[in-house]
Amino acid sequence: MKTVGFRSIVLYILLAAFLLGAGYLAVELAIHGGDWAMQPYNGHLYDTAELGKITDRNGHVLAYTDDDGDRLYGESEAIRRALLHTVGDTRGYISTGVQHSLSDRLTGYNFITGLSDLPFGGIDRDVALTVDQDACAAAYGALEGRNGAALVYNYKTGEVLVKVSAPGFDPENEPEDLNDDPAYNGVYLDNTLSASFTPGSIFKLVTLTAAMEKWPDSWSQRAYACEGSMEIGGSEITCFDHTAHGTQTAAEALGNSCNVYFAQLANDIGGEALQAKAEAMGFNRSFSFDSIPTAESEIKLSGADANQLGWAGVGQHTVLVNPGHMLLLMGSIANGGEAVPPRLTKSAGLLPGLSGGEKLVTAAEAVQLKALMRSNVENYYGDWNFPAGLDVCAKTGTGEVGEEKGPNCWMVGFCDNAQYPYAFAVVVEDGPGGMAAAGPVVSAALSALVD
Amino acid sequence: MEAVKEAFAYFLHSGLLPGVLLILRAVTPVAALYVVWRCYTSFKKGQRRRDPLIVLWDEGSGARFPVLYWENSIGRSRSCDIVLPDPQVSRDHAVLMRRAEGWFICDTGSKAGVWVNGEKVEGRALVGAGDRITLGGVTLSLWNSDAAPPKRRRVFTGFSREAASPRKLLLAVTLVQFLMAIQASLNGGHFAPAQWLPFGVLLVLEWGFFAVSVGVLRHVSFELETVGFLLSGMGIQLLAATDLATVTTQLAALVLGVCVFAFLLWFMSDLDRVAKCRLWIGAGALLLFALNLVIGDERYGSKNWISLGPVSFQPSEFIKLAFIFVGTSTLDRLQTRKNITEFLIFTGACMGFLALLRDFGTALIFFACFLVIAFMRSGSVRTIALVLMAAALGVVLVLRFMPYVAERFLGWGHAWQHINDSMGFQQTRVLTYMASGGLLGMGLGNSSLIYIFAADSDLVFGLLCEEQGLFMGLVVLLAMGLFILYARSDVARSRSTFFSIASCAAAGMLLFQTCLNVFGSTDLLPLTGVTFPFFSAGGSSLVSCWGLLAFIKVSDERTYAARRAGRRRSKIPEMEDIRS
Repeated sequence: MKTVGFRSIVLYILLAAFLLGAGYLAVELAIHGGDWAMQPYNGHLYDTAELGKITDRNGHVLAYTDDDGDRLYGESEAIRRALLHTVGDTRGYISTGVQHSLSDRLTGYNFITGLSDLPFGGIDRDVALTVDQDACAAAYGALEGRNGAALVYNYKTGEVLVKVSAPGFDPENEPEDLNDDPAYNGVYLDNTLSASFTPGSIFKLVTLTAAMEKWPDSWSQRAYACEGSMEIGGSEITCFDHTAHGTQTAAEALGNSCNVYFAQLANDIGGEALQAKAEAMGFNRSFSFDSIPTAESEIKLSGADANQLGWAGVGQHTVLVNPGHMLLLMGSIANGGEAVPPRLTKSAGLLPGLSGGEKLVTAAEAVQLKALMRSNVENYYGDWNFPAGLDVCAKTGTGEVGEEKGPNCWMVGFCDNAQYPYAFAVVVEDGPGGMAAAGPVVSAALSALVD
Repeated sequence: MEAVKEAFAYFLHSGLLPGVLLILRAVTPVAALYVVWRCYTSFKKGQRRRDPLIVLWDEGSGARFPVLYWENSIGRSRSCDIVLPDPQVSRDHAVLMRRAEGWFICDTGSKAGVWVNGEKVEGRALVGAGDRITLGGVTLSLWNSDAAPPKRRRVFTGFSREAASPRKLLLAVTLVQFLMAIQASLNGGHFAPAQWLPFGVLLVLEWGFFAVSVGVLRHVSFELETVGFLLSGMGIQLLAATDLATVTTQLAALVLGVCVFAFLLWFMSDLDRVAKCRLWIGAGALLLFALNLVIGDERYGSKNWISLGPVSFQPSEFIKLAFIFVGTSTLDRLQTRKNITEFLIFTGACMGFLALLRDFGTALIFFACFLVIAFMRSGSVRTIALVLMAAALGVVLVLRFMPYVAERFLGWGHAWQHINDSMGFQQTRVLTYMASGGLLGMGLGNSSLIYIFAADSDLVFGLLCEEQGLFMGLVVLLAMGLFILYARSDVARSRSTFFSIASCAAAGMLLFQTCLNVFGSTDLLPLTGVTFPFFSAGGSSLVSCWGLLAFIKVSDERTYAARRAGRRRSKIPEMEDIRS
């Protein structure tokens, strides 16, 4: 009898497995419950748990649910289209939109009561964003129908002021041919956070920073001759329109955006050192943009020959950058090296603005880059392109993407201005050129913000 | 009157209703937890103290052997309950066991034989106080025990010293069902009086059975029945809240289940009767399987239904009970026939039938139950290892020749990558709606999972958590887990190894089935499509759960004892409280 009784402890194996499984399930539900509940097919999301109101930084309503249970959006079509990727669509296909990423807050979801009806409307489900609807609409308008992305944020506080991605659509009047019309290709993708583009000349800032690290005392004196083109590693590296820039120092070459200069510089720095510096500046990794992970900026120089390294040094070859990462890099340069983490909601974080940012460039590099970028605008692009008195520092770029499509036109930079501490990153696809296509977008956004 | 009606109508549409329902949803699982926990602690406290029943006195050496169990193995082997280190005594010499008529000594294949008062025993012989039993070179005489019972020590007494009265516990069950009935009848802001019907039926059934069992039959314990009623009632009210029509079957099945429970208790009260019927039970089970194979209906990929006119049932659910009957055994039989070949062949036949019926979930449950029984009978890790290897081979063959089974494994653990195809559709819905419910649930009758296929059977745990919350889900899981502790509790103290093995097998079966159901529907295991004990819609399943509950019940020594007259019960005459 006792032997048989003793053997029954074999049941404890089963019991232990059962308790372990049940405990695991409960913990998983506590951790992932919010994500699991926020599925587009969840019937409760439309029945009982209507989404809360979303407002911009000035209290303008960006999205709300009316008495009939319909989800309605901003006051004009321009605003609705401009904020589509920030706010999100009704069906939840835009996963980087607030309606998806913050759906647990908007539905009032919590682990205790789930999505159930709470007495007298329950807890506050409204979300106030940091964006400015008019600045977003201005930037979207300035894209003039082209695809691209525009970001502006306050590099002191981290508040994102403009976040626009195109192509977009009006979420209140969703087009029926959304999945068929090629013009809407990638419409659910947020170009600011989830895409990476060939950078072109804006990458010269990275190449130059690598030079600063390699030759801290003499980088600015390094001079290279430019005859409009140059054979490196067996093939040509050319400047825009084969313009011969002559012998230049670093500041002149950056202002002229001289490819020949930076191709030689990149080869003198060496692939390994350039790669290492780029990674220190945030390449090949993802950033958290108010809990949404950004696509990685990519650089891979191992195995590149001299010509490829030359092209990489001017932001071609296989280099790709993400606009969100560029915004952070600009914020870092503007803010003495420290990149304040961006945030989209006004109440995010217990101590907003105090959470430590990371250094993408050193304080010394930040000062030097700032001076160079200010010189770009003062001496080459012209301050008249921007609202007066903002002391804009910037670098343009045209990333060539092939024969049949126009280049990616970039402008990245910031205002060196205590009252308007704004950093920006704008990319316009298939455009005429950096200043021509991206400049007006930056200008439109800044004008709307300064007003 | 009008004013009351108006106030009620106002209440239904005011912001107050969600708050009241939320409080009800928070209180219900607390009451359920009270029932589940107090039933177990009361069950533990009601058990007899560990004092010896009788004493065997070795006349040669003067040694005294306290007889602690209802069935005692005697022999030279150290695993025996009474060890006689005498070279003439066989390793497993004899079994001394208690039956309704008194104490019996059985020869279990010893070399030297067993002699009572000088007469050789063939089979078994009744022995009484003063009788002299000779085993090889040892002669023992049987006496009543007059030793003072040792004090029982307990590390954890479970928050309370006294056992709760059965009436109080059943009252708590009624409270849980009352709270659920309020919830169901106020769902969605409309008063639905029909939701009180299942409550009324449950009320009558539970208290009626209680009156018969405790009042008329004077049974001592009622804890397991109480837990059974809690779980069945909760399942019925859960299903009633979304579809009142399905509940008629469930209520009928509950009545039948309670009858099966009572029948099995009666049937197992005479182990000789059980021994006589065992062969027929086994043969009947295989016959039923064969019948199923010939005239069975195929539903959702498994051919595991038999329809007879308006009634249809799942034979495999009843064969579960037969399986335990065939597998378990009394100690004298265990000692004489040590190998498990017979049972192994029976298991093989059952598995073969289940494979032909394509009911692999049930096959797994049978297999788990087989492992429990085989280990408790043989104690041989080597046998178990061999069987597991054979089973692994079987699984490989099944996956090879039935690729659709393998498909279920492909999606396993990756349900979220298969939101819209068959490999993850049901699992992701379960997880989403469980999460939607949170800890306290969306409210009884407010389900979206119900529109998913098999929501009321295979996915019913998700339905429970969605409507009543994860808290309630965990309370129910606790109740399932505690069945193991009920079965294990003083397992050596049961009236026979037959009951010990049967109760462990039944508890193992219930818990393993719970694991397959809960973890299958939440993607921790492959989805096999087995029912959730006591909850899933399906009459056969509910009846068989009550049958399994009977097996756990019989292992409790008190099941066949009438209400005690006094506290002292250490001598044989006072043990005549045993019902015969």
